[in-house]
Amino acid sequence: MLEADGIGRDYRVDGQVLTAIDSLTFQVAEGELVCIVGPSGCGKTTLLRMCAGLLTPTRGRAAVDGRTVDGPPADTAVVFQEYGRSLFPWMRVGANVDLPLRRLGLTRAERRERVAEALALVDLAGRERAWPWQLSGGQQQRVAIARAVAFRPRLLLMDEPFAAVDAQTRAELEDLIRDLWQRLGVTVVFITHDIDESVYLGQRVLVLSSSPTRMRAEIHIDLGEERDQLGTRSSPEFAKLRGAVWKEIQAAKRKPDE
Amino acid sequence: MRLLRGALLLLGLPTVLFGLWWIASADSTSFYFPPLQKILAEFAETWTAERWRADVLPSLARLGAGYAASCVLGITLGLLIGRTRWLLHLTEPVLEFARAVPPPVLVPVIMLVAGIGDTMKTAVIVSGCIWPILLNTIAGVRSADAVQLDTAAAFGLGRTRTLTSVVLPAASPRIVTGMRQSLAIGLILMVISEMFAAQSGLGFAIVQFQRSYAIPAMWSGILLLGCLGVALAALFNLFDRAVLHWYHRMRERSA
Repeated sequence: MLEADGIGRDYRVDGQVLTAIDSLTFQVAEGELVCIVGPSGCGKTTLLRMCAGLLTPTRGRAAVDGRTVDGPPADTAVVFQEYGRSLFPWMRVGANVDLPLRRLGLTRAERRERVAEALALVDLAGRERAWPWQLSGGQQQRVAIARAVAFRPRLLLMDEPFAAVDAQTRAELEDLIRDLWQRLGVTVVFITHDIDESVYLGQRVLVLSSSPTRMRAEIHIDLGEERDQLGTRSSPEFAKLRGAVWKEIQAAKRKPDE
Repeated sequence: MRLLRGALLLLGLPTVLFGLWWIASADSTSFYFPPLQKILAEFAETWTAERWRADVLPSLARLGAGYAASCVLGITLGLLIGRTRWLLHLTEPVLEFARAVPPPVLVPVIMLVAGIGDTMKTAVIVSGCIWPILLNTIAGVRSADAVQLDTAAAFGLGRTRTLTSVVLPAASPRIVTGMRQSLAIGLILMVISEMFAAQSGLGFAIVQFQRSYAIPAMWSGILLLGCLGVALAALFNLFDRAVLHWYHRMRERSA
């Protein structure tokens, strides 16, 4: 589904070339939920922006369904960290969710139905007429998720979507993502700096090194399909996996060049 | 109570000033500063329906045409320049220069090109009104949020839809600010353009009164101009509230 093939990105700062991402190669299979973690400043957002076709890689390539990404790929939706800046404050919630649907050639009724359905999925049924800034942070991020869901993407890219919400809301939203993923069969790539979150959500966790970034480790999360905040997080398997990811991240911080 | 307080704040100072003017000028025998009472009496006599048709409405029509053209041109060019990096770098110094030139000095030049008719007067209004709108539109477009633009791109909104649904509304608070500045400039230029080689209009009428020593009528014209300014500002506030209601309510919320 999604494939990164030696993808890398340099930045030019004051005439000097800085390598943000050296080279990354990985695959995400259709229907998979993969989390990508890494120490802060390792270029996670840069990676996501390259996969989303918002940034051109310096080296290598990203491909969706075997086709090289050279612009935003079709059937792909992105949820950004800054929900406050990704929703449009001049549109009501319904219009925000509706906007990406307008180019899909649907009838007005079909679009209205999709919007209502997506809002219901994120527990915001009937809030079409509300303004984004009337909602709490968690609710705003739900709207952003609904916007992505209504688009019915096959690939959903999420860039630290819960970094700016409080812990309780965060737990709810994590369960929401697992639930949507299972229900809709969408492929999810979830970027986070939170080790617990990556283990709780993912089927697989990719650990990145610090900049210049390379792939440091790949950890399979065999926690089963049914997970819940209390049971899963207090299980010994969870602790073990969490420890494994943590160790890799610590090592990545110590030896950036390895 | 709140309504009363609002009305008091709104009308208090104008009433006091008019009262002072009335009292101070009541016994005036000065030819140039007649009593306000006389000015008001003249006002009713001067600004008849006939005068409105002959002078006020043509003025307002030219202001409307010039202002509308400035808005369309300023916003269109502003969107284009704001979204095109090389165009921005290319035009930036020129725009700053053009903005610094006081439009009234252009009147003789514009007269050469556009004659002395309505075209000239409208062109004078555009020559001054366009800059605040253009520069504010550019600034507004430049300040559009990167995440909002990324969102539009990621969902493949396309150029036109990104422009109309994202860039334009994102820039709209700045655009409206520019339009507000331009309206005041437009009113001034409307009068000034009519002081040169005109056959009708408010500015023309006021100059005529002045030249024929009809001083109370001249003052009544100045008074009318002030009232028009207030009325236009009030209309603009309605427009502002209709277009930017989301913006004002959002800011009230975060305040």
